[in-house]
Amino acid sequence: MSAVSPDGATPLLQVEDLHVAFDTRQGAVTALDGVSFSLAAGETLGIVGESGCGKSITALALMGLIPAPPGRLTGGRIDFAGRDIARLAESELRRLRGRDIAMIFQEPMTSLNPVFPVGAQIAEAILLHREIDRQAARREAVALLRTVGIPDAERRATAYPHELSGGMRQRVMIAMAISCRPKVLIADEPTTALDVTVQAQIFELMRRIQDEFGVALMLITHDMGAIAEMADRVAVMYAGRIVEQGLADDVLDRPLHPYTRGLIDCIPVLGKAAPDGRPPALSEIPGVVPPLHLIGDGCAFADRCSLAEPRCRRERPPLTGRRHGVACHVTAAQAT
Amino acid sequence: MSAVTERPAAAPARPVSPFGEAWRMFRSNRPALFGLVLLGAIVAAVGYGTLFHPADPYEIVWAPLAAPGEAEGVPLGTDYIGRDILAGLLKGGGPTLAVGAAAALITVAIGITVGALAGFFGGWIDNLLMRLTEFFQVLPALLFAMVLVTLFSPSLTTIAVAIGVVSWPQTARLTRAEFLRIRELEYVTAARAVGARNGRIIGRVILPNALPPLIVSATLTVGVAILFEAGLSFLGLGDPNTMSWGLMIGANRAYILEAWWPVTFPGLAIFLTVLAVSLVGDGLNDAFNPKLRQR
Repeated sequence: MSAVSPDGATPLLQVEDLHVAFDTRQGAVTALDGVSFSLAAGETLGIVGESGCGKSITALALMGLIPAPPGRLTGGRIDFAGRDIARLAESELRRLRGRDIAMIFQEPMTSLNPVFPVGAQIAEAILLHREIDRQAARREAVALLRTVGIPDAERRATAYPHELSGGMRQRVMIAMAISCRPKVLIADEPTTALDVTVQAQIFELMRRIQDEFGVALMLITHDMGAIAEMADRVAVMYAGRIVEQGLADDVLDRPLHPYTRGLIDCIPVLGKAAPDGRPPALSEIPGVVPPLHLIGDGCAFADRCSLAEPRCRRERPPLTGRRHGVACHVTAAQAT
Repeated sequence: MSAVTERPAAAPARPVSPFGEAWRMFRSNRPALFGLVLLGAIVAAVGYGTLFHPADPYEIVWAPLAAPGEAEGVPLGTDYIGRDILAGLLKGGGPTLAVGAAAALITVAIGITVGALAGFFGGWIDNLLMRLTEFFQVLPALLFAMVLVTLFSPSLTTIAVAIGVVSWPQTARLTRAEFLRIRELEYVTAARAVGARNGRIIGRVILPNALPPLIVSATLTVGVAILFEAGLSFLGLGDPNTMSWGLMIGANRAYILEAWWPVTFPGLAIFLTVLAVSLVGDGLNDAFNPKLRQR
């Protein structure tokens, strides 16, 4: 079951059979249903899927930040540096957060505290984990701002979040995230709220940070283009499960799960024209992710799938294959 | 080194904090500025007025109920036993303002603590604290304050505490509402994600962002507390040994038909003070309201 990193290195982070449930009025709903993956130092794992398929919950679970109640971890392990962090006490988790595992959020507009200058906020994050004085923390914050490519860092450190552009704020978030040299960096749709041109800059920055600090990156996105650009390996999530995983090149070139194919087909290709010369119709995956409490025994994707067989509605397909795995009855034979 | 630098955006020369921005808004609001000046004048008069009119408010200086201007050196006339009213106003303003400020402080301290804990933790803590709040909210405030003042000696401290104890529920509910809203925002999750503990998230992350409506509410509470003190003193429940505006009105109320001045001047003083405080409060409200903020 456990995924081995392709180069055979011992993974830094190993998630096994993770289950998360949320208590709702319809009863307990399974938000994560047996999610397993691993992450090695210096590697980038992309997690892809539509809204509501469990990507962000996976990230929050790694940080021990599942909102509880109503959420709770109902099973599985998260092995990190020899410990199962799914079972750590809150005080130990707190020491881990920011220092060993850091996170970048989707909305740079709202993820910084509006009433404090950005430099002070970075300094605060440093002071939470390191025994240095305030002056040193401030200097370090300015140095970090310089590292993430903010010009005139000295002055920008005293600026308030509302005085910076979206791209600048995301750089500040990245500076804060790397302030304690974390081993794992989780980026939850870090560029979704940004302009396309700024997106490219942020990706380039994240790659440079990764090279410089050797951090393992978990990139959560719904954008296959971002995966193609950034990820070494990919896990495709659907309705709380991983439905396909493998090397990014394999998954992108030879998608096995019908859902992954759908996601890839959704990327518009510039300059491609239909025979009559007009731009081709954009393809889409029919339907939406089913509400989690309505998922029955079968494959959660069956109702939206063009390949679905009667068996797909009865039995849930397991994830098969080691190198390039897929959870699909129809295409399982092609897994490697 | 890095090829990935962003083009420097046009940033203002000097960073402006949200509070600095609010002050800029406040300055351009005429009624609020008027209120601030008026309040400043009242505080100055109460603080330094005795330098220019150094009379003893307890001393009988003239015949009782002398009209304003009738006697030299007693510009606002005398009260029912012949004491200088202007001296009483100058001397009595201090306790009045002090009780108002102290009561507002107590209100805010209890209200923010209760509201913050309830809003942040939710669950049974919220339930317990909100039931407690409701219990205090349904008590008739004036009656409860009267009971407290009669139970203990009617000193300024007792009065301030009594007013504080009956007025905190509103602040608590306001604080709770702000905490409920802000704790769902992404920067709170982000603060958790860097490893901040609950105390820090409450004090350094949520509270500073919840402050604007609380500042407004605290300012308005000062006005309410001054009126409250006047009411208690008027009913004869104030501290009889300390000159205050409420006490002056209360003591002279029996003679209102023969002499209007002993009650009118302290009444006017209370009116102007509460007006000034309310104008400042409204001004702060507008200044902190981002929808009214134009660049």
